[in-house]
Amino acid sequence: MGLYARGDAAAFVVLYRRHEARIWRYLERNVRNRATADELMQEVWFAVARDADRYEPTSRFTTWLFTIARNRMIDSIRTSPQQVSLETLGYEGELVVQQLTTEPNVGPLDAVVVRDQAAALRQAIGQLPREQRDAFLLQIEGDFSVEEVATITQSSFETTKSRLRYARTKLRELLSEHA
Amino acid sequence: MNRVPPSQEQPEDVDDQYRRASALDPSRPSEAVRRAVLAHAARLAAERATRIEGSKTKSTRTAVNQAWWRPAILGTLAAAALAGLMIAPRFLVEAPRAQGTRPNTAPALVAQAPDTRAEERAPSAPALGPERTAKPGASTRNADVLSHTGGARPKVSARASSGAAPVAAAAQSTDAMVGGASQQRAPRNTSVATAITAVPRISEAPADPAAAVRRAAEIGDLSGLQMLLEKQTDIDSPDAAGRTALMLATLHGHTDAVAALLAHGADPNAAAADGTTPLQAARAGDHPAIVAALQRYGAR
Repeated sequence: MGLYARGDAAAFVVLYRRHEARIWRYLERNVRNRATADELMQEVWFAVARDADRYEPTSRFTTWLFTIARNRMIDSIRTSPQQVSLETLGYEGELVVQQLTTEPNVGPLDAVVVRDQAAALRQAIGQLPREQRDAFLLQIEGDFSVEEVATITQSSFETTKSRLRYARTKLRELLSEHA
Repeated sequence: MNRVPPSQEQPEDVDDQYRRASALDPSRPSEAVRRAVLAHAARLAAERATRIEGSKTKSTRTAVNQAWWRPAILGTLAAAALAGLMIAPRFLVEAPRAQGTRPNTAPALVAQAPDTRAEERAPSAPALGPERTAKPGASTRNADVLSHTGGARPKVSARASSGAAPVAAAAQSTDAMVGGASQQRAPRNTSVATAITAVPRISEAPADPAAAVRRAAEIGDLSGLQMLLEKQTDIDSPDAAGRTALMLATLHGHTDAVAALLAHGADPNAAAADGTTPLQAARAGDHPAIVAALQRYGAR
């Protein structure tokens, strides 16, 4: 980040590639709308590029990055009207099928298994209450501790811990139902 | 790392399942987003690099590049001229009155002082700020000098006609600097240095921000466009032909400008006066990237 703040464009590319997938999954699985997630993704990284010289390495870069992503996402949810996506209309499975079957490294049998698991997991995550989903995705995609999730979400440690516990319990229930 | 303590069951199995599924999930942001992000970052990096390079150059030429050197020179010149105007007549007036009572050496020396000071100080002006050369009490003191030389006014004015030239020149240079744009000129009876520093800066804001946005979109000036868009300009304001900035960027095939406008909330369906939509224009102009970007933002 320091290199980029001093004008090294290549440093940003490295940074972007390193965190692209995780930020994308965090946004896309929270908002459950590909177009909105695309828009948020762009806004988040524009903000990172713009504020690079204001970033102070007092905390991890991922903490700063996910905080920006979360704030943008909340702003988007607050200001945008309710969006109806294919996913919310029940096309999520189809989308996953399309995405997974285009993956060249996955064989047909694996693709079926993964497709099934991924669809079930995404569906289960989508059924979590928003705060639990946010906390769970933050922790698993950002690889954060409970304290860090609590800091990013501006919640108490105990509340965050409860949200994470409930989220995992609920996910386990939903996945076992699916199985 | 402080992970959630395991409950009765094993929560990690959910995490593992999630990670396995995620690892095989190829879902990624669209290519257009990736390109827009990296292009934006590269442009900002280039601007930063230029800025840093510029500041290094500046630091080696401080005397030339200091922002205050121009007012400092003008202030010094003006103060020197004013001092010359005020002090010279005093000695010219006193000289006849003091004849026989005081030696004539001082007036002779001081009478030449203003011009030489003005000439000598000018080159060293950048090293002095206007506040150091134009002392607060100078104008009042000089006013007193003028009021106490009532009987000698013809002489003063006669001398002042030549002595006033630097002041007039300073005032004229001030007018020229403002270019007639300033309507709030400081009164002439105050310090000239104060008058110079009181000149308001000419605004750099464009007269019509919406037109500036359209122009930047039309020529593909992405950095200019970004700057304007960050100022909450009316992004969908059309020109006389009903073409918005998005339409103009589309017509000229500026993909990055289209992406920036869409990202800033431009209406992807704002049609021109003849009914052509941006999507139709992009298709007609054979700009597939723009077509894709527009469709992603709901263009019909």
